[in-house]
Amino acid sequence: MSAFLDMGGYAAYVWPAYAVTLAVMVGNIIWARRALKRSRKEALHRLAVGGTEK
Amino acid sequence: MAWTWFHRLASPPHVYRVAGRLTPWLAWPAAALIVAGLIGGLVLAPPDYQQGDGYRIIYVHAPSAWMSLMVYTTMAVAAAIGLIWRMKVAHAVAASCAPIGASFTFAALVTGSLWGAPMWGTYWQWDPRLTSELILLFLYLGYMGLRSAFDDVQRADRVSAVLAIVGVVNVPIIHYSVIWWNSLHQAPSVMRLGGPTMPASMFVPLLMMLVGFTLFFGALLLVRVRGEVLSRERAATWIREALRT
Repeated sequence: MSAFLDMGGYAAYVWPAYAVTLAVMVGNIIWARRALKRSRKEALHRLAVGGTEK
Repeated sequence: MAWTWFHRLASPPHVYRVAGRLTPWLAWPAAALIVAGLIGGLVLAPPDYQQGDGYRIIYVHAPSAWMSLMVYTTMAVAAAIGLIWRMKVAHAVAASCAPIGASFTFAALVTGSLWGAPMWGTYWQWDPRLTSELILLFLYLGYMGLRSAFDDVQRADRVSAVLAIVGVVNVPIIHYSVIWWNSLHQAPSVMRLGGPTMPASMFVPLLMMLVGFTLFFGALLLVRVRGEVLSRERAATWIREALRT
């Protein structure tokens, strides 16, 4: 296990690379969901304040 | 008759509904492929004869770099369709691509830098491949900045589409940079004539990651497109119907 974590001496490069990619992926999921939620809320607001008005 | 699919594709309520239904069908296979690819790449694949275990960065770097180019191409094609056929849904697709593409371009640059440090002895070099990829990040950010400068979505769509289309010349430049110029970056080992230069034990996990990332992009795109479609719509009836559930 510690040999695996050591990555043949490249741990300081391999793991940060994986961490950054994972963060970008998780961030994208949260970011996309939030954007959809915001658009829904704004659309509902537009309906509430009066139909086809901008 | 043959054009009905095209019109349905362009219909916002249809797109909103179908995109919602389709998302899990892309997201779950993406998750499965990425987990399998990670196990294959980190555990099962043998170390490289030159780079030892350091080469394993390829399993996140190459898919991120692939995303950066594929997403940009998708964005430019969608922007062109939106501009030529005045198709709102196509503009919604283009606008949805930018933040996804920008973030994976960032990931490609950072993982590449972390790979370059031990192998080339430097985190950064003003080399053709690295520089053109950095320009790609600026193109994405410029596109997003330009969009946010307009209050009117339709105007933002048209103006930003021109930038997206012009910027697409950078995509082949990035891809061929390692062949055209003397670059520090290695030549393609997957997308090349004559097939991949890796044994199957290394290549199969990489292929899983590439397909997994692509499906992941599809799922993210569907979620974002739904929001972008909603923000372009003023027709109260279908929105009320779509949002009631």
